[in-house]
Amino acid sequence: MLRISENQRADYVQARLMRLQVDVRVLQEQLVSGRRLVRPEDGPLDAAVVVRSSARLSALAGQRQAAALGVQVLHAQDEALGEASAVLVRAEELATQFASGLYSAAQRTAAREEAHGLLQELVAVANGSFAGRRLWSGLALDAPSPFLDPDTPGWTAASAFTGSTYEFEVQVGPHAEDRVRTSTRGDSVFGAALEALETLETALATNASVTPALDSLAAARGRLSAERASVGARQAQLQERIDRVRGLVLQEETARSAARDVDFAVAASRLAEAQTALQALLATAAQMNQSRLTNLLRL
Amino acid sequence: MALSPLFAIGRGALLAQEIGLTVAGNNIANANTPGYTRTRAVLSQEVPRQYAGVLMGWGVRAQRVEQVVDQLLEARLRVVTTEQGEAIARRDHLVALSAVANDLDDPSLATVLDAFFAAADGLARNPGGLAEREVLLARGEALADETNGRASRLARLQRDIDDRIAALVSEANEEIERLAALNTAITHAEVDGQIATGLRDERTLALQSLARKVGIEAIDTGQLGTRISLANGLVLVEGGRVVHRLAAEPGSTPGLDGGPLRDLGVRRSNSSYVALPSVALRGEIAGLRAVRDGELVEAATRLDLFASTLASAVNAVQQHPSARDLDGNATAGVPFFAGTTAATLQLALSDPRTIAAARSTQPGDAANALALLGVRGAAQGALNGTTLSGWLAAEQARLGQDAARAEDAATAADLRASQVRSEREAVSGVNLNEELANLLRFQHAFEASARVIAVADRVLDELVNLVR
Repeated sequence: MLRISENQRADYVQARLMRLQVDVRVLQEQLVSGRRLVRPEDGPLDAAVVVRSSARLSALAGQRQAAALGVQVLHAQDEALGEASAVLVRAEELATQFASGLYSAAQRTAAREEAHGLLQELVAVANGSFAGRRLWSGLALDAPSPFLDPDTPGWTAASAFTGSTYEFEVQVGPHAEDRVRTSTRGDSVFGAALEALETLETALATNASVTPALDSLAAARGRLSAERASVGARQAQLQERIDRVRGLVLQEETARSAARDVDFAVAASRLAEAQTALQALLATAAQMNQSRLTNLLRL
Repeated sequence: MALSPLFAIGRGALLAQEIGLTVAGNNIANANTPGYTRTRAVLSQEVPRQYAGVLMGWGVRAQRVEQVVDQLLEARLRVVTTEQGEAIARRDHLVALSAVANDLDDPSLATVLDAFFAAADGLARNPGGLAEREVLLARGEALADETNGRASRLARLQRDIDDRIAALVSEANEEIERLAALNTAITHAEVDGQIATGLRDERTLALQSLARKVGIEAIDTGQLGTRISLANGLVLVEGGRVVHRLAAEPGSTPGLDGGPLRDLGVRRSNSSYVALPSVALRGEIAGLRAVRDGELVEAATRLDLFASTLASAVNAVQQHPSARDLDGNATAGVPFFAGTTAATLQLALSDPRTIAAARSTQPGDAANALALLGVRGAAQGALNGTTLSGWLAAEQARLGQDAARAEDAATAADLRASQVRSEREAVSGVNLNEELANLLRFQHAFEASARVIAVADRVLDELVNLVR
């Protein structure tokens, strides 16, 4: 015959009560913290997903910052290249003007002075910086001017560049090949332009033909345009990368949230369910205590 | 020969029903006493006697009070209690281990590692920046500190478990002494065939407690009491005599903190020490020993592997043949991290200018900083081809899975133990309704027996009146 002792009844109620109370506490904690994954044992695979996602999000944040820096730097370079092109355009006008050889010595002297001014302006552009970093010298921070001042004794265009030959890259992806160059060595960009201006200035000073200077200026402007196109392409590449990173961040955050965060609707309904079960159990326990022979017989 | 058998029958019945009432009352009183085994009065008919030439019944007598107990269930309860003790000890300490290595918190080893590479990223964006170098140095130090901290927490957890094992051995020895004393007391109390119910209940509880701690076999040897032995048959208690005491002695295996871990064995009565094979001990001690010597050591070894891989990967970049610091000096002899284990990992640099961000003397060169950043996503051969953070993620899954499995095992052991405990309660526990019914039954029988004496009294009165 099946017997039920007092302790069995009490043990059952106690065990069930404890389990329900633990359930209620866990669900309350989840709703307050917004997380269902607090310890690795709450979901071992989800815990791994959270750790991996957090690492990837940190990496993506770095890639986004690097890409944003690249865009800013390239934007500054684009503006500088625009200014340099304007200098060369003016120099070409000057060269075209003096190509006829009909100007007086005084006019040629004035033109030479203007050409020298344009040279100084181009050097100033080539020595430009962004946030303290040299745009055309490996983005070096607080570095000296990469191009010597044209007024320096013995200055020649060929030897004007003394800056860094390092071409700066930003890491915009997880792999070594996911790097985008954000600086070009200054002599490669401005060398031809400086030499063309030097040629023009020398021609004006020596009353020689400016025709070779005209050809050089045209070639130098072409070089600047090519660099500008390259800068634009890289800017677009970085901008596209920023957009892609934004999407990847969203994906990672969604994956992490799915693994870590609580579903409020589910947790709230489970909490209500557990609380109802708890109340029902307490009521049943109270009812069980009334069903005694003592109560029936009024002993 | 009684004057009238009615008096004798009534008197015997009164005594028997009173004993029945007392037994029911005692059961009711102990309804909530832990380990109590219900008792019942065994009533039997008196030996029939001749009266007026007729062989007739002579009433009732209370033969004895016996415990309602199923020895097989008691033995099963000890077995499941042993399993429960082992499973709970494993669960508690694997959960603690998982908490020590929890990378879901912030800060944790994983977040500090991320922060370190974020700082390397900052340096790659501005290799000449002193601020970026200071941050990388600080994050490197935090990474080393967190690794040291985790190693130290693992060592402390192992030492706590070792201390707990020693405490358990001491508690188990007290119970062994108590069980020997109880065996003696029960033997003395039961010389005339009676059952020393309270003492037996106390022994049952002590046996369960010892079973939970070390796992035992208990055999009732009758007159000599109970023989208690370990799983490998080594006898601890023989009747009232303690044959072996458990011992936890500092052994030759060093712990994670360098101090010796305790070996488990027994001491004979002549104080000689004998080491125990691992199969001899079960229960809580076995669970603790398994975590102390198994999962904890494995977690520490894997943490050491992580630390040494991290140090060698970062140092390989810092000490690259072309690597240059901020002043253009080669850094081939200037490591970033020193130490090859989690406990000894530390920052080897103190001057941020000595961090190698370049691979040439060209200003702005960030090639080495980019290489350092590349360590984040690089598959490490020593870590089975995973990245450093991938390894930590795998560790989370592994430790979490161990703890979750231990939780499941503990829940299953709990359920098995509750099931057997419930079966034991169904046999030996007190049901108040049943006892109240018994109380009423014996009360009515007692009243009726009193009425028998009253009738006998009246019959005697009639006889006396006849004589007058």
